[in-house]
Amino acid sequence: MIQKDLSINFLGVEFPNPFCLSSSPVGNCYDMCKKAYDMGWGGVVFKTIGFFVADEVSPRFDILDKEDTPFVGFKNMEQIAEHPLEENLATIKRLKQDYPDRVLIASIMGANEQEWEDLARLAEEAGADMLELNFSCPQMTSHAMGSDVGSSPDLCRRYCQAVKRGSKLPVLAKMTPNVTDMCEVAIASIEGGADGIAAINTVKSVCNVDLQKKIGMPVVNGKSSVSGYSGKAVKPIALRFIQQMRSHPSLKDIPVSGIGGIETWEDAAEFILLGSGTLQVTTGVMQYGYRIVEDMKNGLMHYMEEQGVDSLSDLVGLATDNIIPAEELDRDYIVYPHIDQEKCVKCGRCYISCYDGAHQAIEWNDAIRSPSCDKDKCVGCHLCGHVCPVGAISFGEIVFKEGRQGDRRIEDIRL
Amino acid sequence: MTSEYCKEMDLPLSPKGVIAEASRCLLCLDAPCSQSCPAGTDPAGFIRSVRFRNFKGAAETVRENNALGSVCARVCPTEKYCEQGCIRAGLDKPIHIDRIQRFITDFEDATEMEILKRGESNGKNIAIVGSGPSALQAAVDFLCYGYSVDIFEKQAQAGGWLRYGIPEFRLPTEVLDKEIKRIEQLGAIIHLNTDIGRDLSLDDLKKQHDAVILAVGASAGKTLPMFEDNPCVVTAAEFLTEASSNKGEVSLGDNVVVIGGGDVAMDVVTTLKKVGTSHVTNVVYEELFEFRASKNELANARKMGVTIVDGYEPSSVDNNTVTFTHRRIPGELKLSADKIVLAVGQYPVVDGLDLDITNGEVRFEGYRTEDPKVFVAGDIARGDKTVVWAVKTGKEVAEAVHSVLEGEE
Ligand SMILES: Cc1cc2nc3c(=O)[nH]c(=O)nc-3n(C[C@H](O)[C@H](O)[C@H](O)COP(=O)(O)OP(=O)(O)OC[C@H]3O[C@@H](n4cnc5c(N)ncnc54)[C@H](O)[C@@H]3O)c2cc1C
Ligand SMILES: Cc1cc2nc3c(=O)[nH]c(=O)nc-3n(C[C@H](O)[C@H](O)[C@H](O)COP(=O)(O)O)c2cc1C
Ligand code: SF4
Ligand code: SF4
Ligand code: SF4
Repeated sequence: MIQKDLSINFLGVEFPNPFCLSSSPVGNCYDMCKKAYDMGWGGVVFKTIGFFVADEVSPRFDILDKEDTPFVGFKNMEQIAEHPLEENLATIKRLKQDYPDRVLIASIMGANEQEWEDLARLAEEAGADMLELNFSCPQMTSHAMGSDVGSSPDLCRRYCQAVKRGSKLPVLAKMTPNVTDMCEVAIASIEGGADGIAAINTVKSVCNVDLQKKIGMPVVNGKSSVSGYSGKAVKPIALRFIQQMRSHPSLKDIPVSGIGGIETWEDAAEFILLGSGTLQVTTGVMQYGYRIVEDMKNGLMHYMEEQGVDSLSDLVGLATDNIIPAEELDRDYIVYPHIDQEKCVKCGRCYISCYDGAHQAIEWNDAIRSPSCDKDKCVGCHLCGHVCPVGAISFGEIVFKEGRQGDRRIEDIRL
Repeated sequence: MTSEYCKEMDLPLSPKGVIAEASRCLLCLDAPCSQSCPAGTDPAGFIRSVRFRNFKGAAETVRENNALGSVCARVCPTEKYCEQGCIRAGLDKPIHIDRIQRFITDFEDATEMEILKRGESNGKNIAIVGSGPSALQAAVDFLCYGYSVDIFEKQAQAGGWLRYGIPEFRLPTEVLDKEIKRIEQLGAIIHLNTDIGRDLSLDDLKKQHDAVILAVGASAGKTLPMFEDNPCVVTAAEFLTEASSNKGEVSLGDNVVVIGGGDVAMDVVTTLKKVGTSHVTNVVYEELFEFRASKNELANARKMGVTIVDGYEPSSVDNNTVTFTHRRIPGELKLSADKIVLAVGQYPVVDGLDLDITNGEVRFEGYRTEDPKVFVAGDIARGDKTVVWAVKTGKEVAEAVHSVLEGEE
């Protein structure tokens, strides 16, 4: 079996591998974190602790399905830790004693500057390696806590300063995606003393509505609430925010712990290529258990092998510069679809989608049930390729738009 | 062992399972599946409805096309119809259209939908002789057009081969009963124990009705000359009828030889196994590569441990001992059995019905006999001998009669 060094230094802390449980019920008590460490997770962000003790609803989850795929997205109505603060601190202490070489990050949340400062001090005393400031839980019952904080640059800055007064540990500020511009709050957090950014927390959502009862789901005594959405569906949103931060002039090369819909090594690699030094997971674990880390680690090792890199940090941020503003994209050419008639199973889906959703460029031969592309009409959008169930449609001929070739050669175009 | 006979063999799809199966469907353009249902059902349409979670719409698509949708979902040889040209087979295997249809009709039943609506009365009435699938489908179409319908059935219960032939473990009586009840509630009047040609004459019917449909099917089992009057021999039709009438309480002994290789033969051998027969030997005229029975039925028979000997035909019989000769290679096979079942086909019994039947069918295309008031449907009409084909003929005969009677106005 392949062996590669997955360790990475992140905010001065040595992680045996980048995979961490994100702060949530998946890392809520000693036994859970122990099991996760034993199964190979590099770190745990312990379930957010605070002076506030959560008072949870039941039931508290809902899922979005698509066709026969459950958990396309996951909605939760949880707040922060349900256990008392002293118990959580004792757990952190014990975990650190028993697993000195694994990373333990304390996620904290205060209601005012004094609480933030005290929590930081208490977490450091308990032995945590790092702090994560939860500026982002969308279901807190007070505006002084949760994602309302994460959308106020001023509060983020002040709370970071308070935390730095209480502790010398490296600090991650955990961002909410429920903002238009994450850079603003991230910059304020860094100005306040945060060393890196964790992104993202959950996206505010209404996942499903019960059509008979006419209530959002899950139903809590006849009502429901807007609350946080996570899992695969939020991955594109997370990647977008990370990209925007990592390419912002004031945040360039800022350390990022990537979160949001990670469940495979490919998801993980995407977050890394866009600049994440570590990765955090909740929903994937809630659905499948801690064991998913095995394939994420092994798959990532194979990817490193394929890429010829020996250190994970060599991959961090390699894709960042390849995502550029839309106005800078090359708009001078068209790639026509190439239809492989051997692979084609003659379902006609490309025809339907091109007609109803693109440019009526697929011609359908009724007699032999066979598609072909009319280049006079085709705009090269490749919707057809996306709907083809067998991957019979690939990139074909490249043609420059009238008078737009300049001195470039077709071969210069990178597809 | 009897309960084995009464237990439906195929399990239904779960609500998640049906979505998974519908998601395998490629939702094809001009879907080949929809072009090959004899009853004109649009599987691509109802699968799409399921895919987009419109179960009620799916039920309408099935039911409006097929008054026996729940039956067909269980007994239709889909491999030769809708699933035959299924595009998904190009990736792995065809969509299980039958199982999706079964989910839909089960849903229709569970939610007590009433999809079919009787048309406004036009004051005319139709007599239908027989109550098999063609008769039942025709009745529904006539009712929807506005006719009143009398069905005459010589047996004690309605359904034809659906009741007396197809075994319980493939088609539960309960399912059939519900289909028939639905048709009765729509307005069909079923006269049981009424043999036309004996209890009532064809002329009686013609006098009292605007048209008469003969849907008498092929109700008797064939034999072969060498087996005539042999007390060790029963026909498949006799055996299956007895099995279904007695809910599986039948026995032909512990060692039975079955001759014939179609779907009816498969029903005989699987029924024999279900009722606990130890040794079931099926001797088949065709060789396996040219087998007539559906792959599914054959697979079931083999799974149950039926011995299948292919390529032999009987050459002589002495009491309970039959000698078979291979059709292509030199060689003989001699078997003695407690009973011998002949599954070599069924033929129509048309005494008193003034019908000219050759090779089990009428000699003309279409449905109208020489007598302008009399029409045929089902197995005695030309075409496939399957339930869904019978449904097709039921629809078409109703349409034909309707256009004639409308023209007379
Ligand atoms: C054992 C068996 C298994 C089969 N399995 C399948 C299968 O899995 N799938 C499939 O698609 N097809 C199957 N078939 C074929 C299918 O059952 C027939 O094609 C279909 O039933 C024919 O329908 P029908 O309308 O002609 O009437 P039939 O089902 O043949 O019924 C005719 C009815 O008319 C009645 N009748 C006859 N004469 C008179 C009269 N003089 N007066 C009053 N009533 C009369 C009979 O009692 C009977 O009830 C099977 C057939 C058999 C025998
Ligand atoms: C049930 C549940 C509870 C959560 N509780 C917390 C929490 O206490 N603190 C926190 O910072 N994030 C919390 N989160 C957010 C996750 O840590 C994570 O940021 C988010 O779920 C996105 O990652 P994922 O797609 O891997 O789940 C919670 C998420 C879920 C699903
Ligand atoms: S690339 Fe777009 S326009 Fe061209 S054939 Fe495909 S779907 Fe149609
Ligand atoms: S979608 Fe793909 S498989 Fe279907 S007709 Fe088009 S090219 Fe062929
Ligand atoms: S042919 Fe097969 S894949 Fe295509 S629509 Fe019909 S069932 Fe679906």
